[in-house]
Amino acid sequence: MAAQIVEPVDAAGAAAALGAAASDGLSIAVRGAGTKLTAPASDVVISTMNLTKGVDHVAGDLVATAPAGASLDAVNDVLRRERQWLPLDPPRSHRATIGGIVATNDSGPRRHRFGAPRDLIIGIEIALVDGRTAKAGGRVVKNVAGYDLSKLMCGSFGTLAVVTSATFKLSPVAPFSQTVVATLADVRKLGDLALALASAPVGPSAIELQSPPHRLLVRFETTEGAAAAQTAIARDICAAHGATVSVISGQAETDAWRAHESRIFSDAGTVVKIATLPTDVADMLSSIQRLTTGAAVECAISGRGALGIVLLRLGSDPAAHGHIINELRREAVARRGSAVVLSAPDDIIEAAGRFGSLGDAGPIMRAVKARFDPHHLLNAGLSPWD
Amino acid sequence: MNQSFLTELARLVGPDGLIGDASDLLTYESDALVHLRSTPGAVVLPTSTEQVQAVVRLCRREGVPFVARGHGTGLSGGALPIKDGVLIGLSRMNRILEIDIPNLRAVVEPGVTNLEITKRVAPFGCYYAPDPSSQVVCSIGGNIAENSGGAHCLKYGFTVHHVLGVDAVLPDGELVHIGGAVLDTPGLDLLGVLVGSEGTLAIVTKAIVRLLRRPEKVMTLLAGFESIDAAGEAVSAIIASGIVPAAVEMMDRLTIEAAEAAVHPNFPKTDAVLIVELDGPASEVDELFAVVEALCRKCGAVTIEIARDQAQRDRIWKGRKAAFAAMGRVSPNYYVQDGVVPRTKLPEVLRRIRDLEARSGLRIGNVFHAGDGNLHPLICYDEAIPGQAEHAEKVASEILTYCIEAGGAITGEHGVGVDKKSYMPKMFGEHDLDTMQLVRCAFDPTGICNPGKVFPTPRLCGEVPGPYRAHPVERAGLAERF
Repeated sequence: MAAQIVEPVDAAGAAAALGAAASDGLSIAVRGAGTKLTAPASDVVISTMNLTKGVDHVAGDLVATAPAGASLDAVNDVLRRERQWLPLDPPRSHRATIGGIVATNDSGPRRHRFGAPRDLIIGIEIALVDGRTAKAGGRVVKNVAGYDLSKLMCGSFGTLAVVTSATFKLSPVAPFSQTVVATLADVRKLGDLALALASAPVGPSAIELQSPPHRLLVRFETTEGAAAAQTAIARDICAAHGATVSVISGQAETDAWRAHESRIFSDAGTVVKIATLPTDVADMLSSIQRLTTGAAVECAISGRGALGIVLLRLGSDPAAHGHIINELRREAVARRGSAVVLSAPDDIIEAAGRFGSLGDAGPIMRAVKARFDPHHLLNAGLSPWD
Repeated sequence: MNQSFLTELARLVGPDGLIGDASDLLTYESDALVHLRSTPGAVVLPTSTEQVQAVVRLCRREGVPFVARGHGTGLSGGALPIKDGVLIGLSRMNRILEIDIPNLRAVVEPGVTNLEITKRVAPFGCYYAPDPSSQVVCSIGGNIAENSGGAHCLKYGFTVHHVLGVDAVLPDGELVHIGGAVLDTPGLDLLGVLVGSEGTLAIVTKAIVRLLRRPEKVMTLLAGFESIDAAGEAVSAIIASGIVPAAVEMMDRLTIEAAEAAVHPNFPKTDAVLIVELDGPASEVDELFAVVEALCRKCGAVTIEIARDQAQRDRIWKGRKAAFAAMGRVSPNYYVQDGVVPRTKLPEVLRRIRDLEARSGLRIGNVFHAGDGNLHPLICYDEAIPGQAEHAEKVASEILTYCIEAGGAITGEHGVGVDKKSYMPKMFGEHDLDTMQLVRCAFDPTGICNPGKVFPTPRLCGEVPGPYRAHPVERAGLAERF
């Protein structure tokens, strides 16, 4: 028997579907475009793909409300008419939905300047298993009335409620963009150079790790004059660190960033996100290189160099993935960080665990989950806070 | 409060950490919302997380409600004590525990003042970004409870964007670590909901905060306009040009006069002044500042002063930050309102406030964060005149309805506390509030952690239904459905 798929067209429909399934005790999976996680097995699938009704953009307020099922690119196409955008660049943005991006708190290289969804979200509407909808926050940037459920939903992986729409603060589109590409001989030095650039008088929108080859992609999005001045400063710093430097703009720049994304997120495979202190990035990069070379596993790296976020994609041979994940997680945790498996074959996730330990906050996370979804019907088995 | 309970408290925090004397308790009977007062049964001043845990455990065991308090600068009664409850004052937990400049982190106790962090890291070229007007005295613990903002949050965000992790004592006395030193910690973003929960979910005993490097260049401009509308147009023009200033502040004639009388910032004697600040790399600031200046002139600025140095910038900001307190120079009493409107609705709402001023017979000063639509109308009254205080409160209340009708919020930074909880149903539906209560009940099922705040009507939590049904993963075969 296949799971029943429900595709509500509005929040009320989503709530009704949730309520009906929950009252029958049916397990429910929530699914957007499916660009990230594989939804767990369930009796009912609630797809957000028909929640696409209209983007409400108020350019003068620098805010917009977007439906959960709209792709990020579709939303940004609307916002760009007023020279604004929702400054998020997670992978597969042509398909990734607003709901899915919120549910996974997903972001990309430009998190360096603009933050993650939880930093940009200012309001939310959700549908709950009790069959009702609820909202929190609002449409103003500054607002401390009531609990901020919109942040709670960011990264909750659809385990608490179904996001039906979200409101964000926006940014103006910069008039000009160019990227400094610094190539280094040693992977460790990427971490050092990222730190040096982050403390320099420049305001890049991304300081992005790439390996192999060992490169730092430093993007400047500002006026043309300011980009030129900051590029000159960045060039000097890169050169002082022994890097060879080139500068790209226009189509070459667009292509380079697209290629950068697809190195990690081209198709299904094992992708791990490590969060660490910025000063530990160099050591983590060395460890990744040591472990993957030792096990003869192909590996591609990206990440937010100055923020302490390292992404890696492991290739053949998958038999060694579990060991590498465990070792990296052990090292990251020892350094007060974490390693989360973003995607991997089921057997690897089962063996290594997706999230690692929740620490002493696990019980209170489970208490929150139990209040929102007392019968554990929503995306069951997906998270350790279930 | 019975003697054995007090004795037990004294044992936990030491005799000098307990205040039980009736006259000493008066100090703690309100926060900065002074017209609401309530005398707690006891005040404890713990010096460690362990002491906070012990006190909370005792309260839990005895079913005694407790309220955490920072430095008592809150403006919504969030730290208003519960009669016969325990007030947990965190002012003695005031150490900066760690400063990590390379990673731009500091670890602080909740009683550290906001500005103290910046002072300590200034020699390294760093600062802590949220800058509420009370930053000289307000505590980080209080900032976390209220999700404090300040003048620079248009560009830099609020406390929630600058706190990475906390040690929190839950209402059952358990200590949990939420968030952490790194950006992403696995699990639910409890930090996002804890910050701004007004002390109703837990007591924060330690926080890891993010530091920023001082921008290479800061430029500040003070522009005088003949009307609030003209100043508002300038703000719209700046935003429309694609510039996100570090701060955009507006003051009207009455608040300009008050500030002038109090701290002599030498503001122009116009109907409105705009303070616009840009910061960032010099190359960018230089270029964009010229645009800002031109837009101000185009929108009718009659005076423009550009701060040449830090001293001049400080003088301008002193005039702005003193605006609240300065109202005392022009009025015996004043009521500070805090509401938010979408920025594009500012002119319309300000006109309604002007009409209200004429109708009410009370002078209303307006000082606000124009970039993000956060209004702080100051309603002047004289409490010596019978009924005028109540009248002022009604006027303040009407302004909030304007904010709600404009699609805004009932508070932008002062919090709901006790003061505004009756407005919550005007902004949120019953189910919205019920859903927020789910979080409350997960953290505080017995309702002893700062009860009676934020939400209009107390609700019992009840038990979580269970046991839950068979886990899908446990049901073999279902995995093949996809």
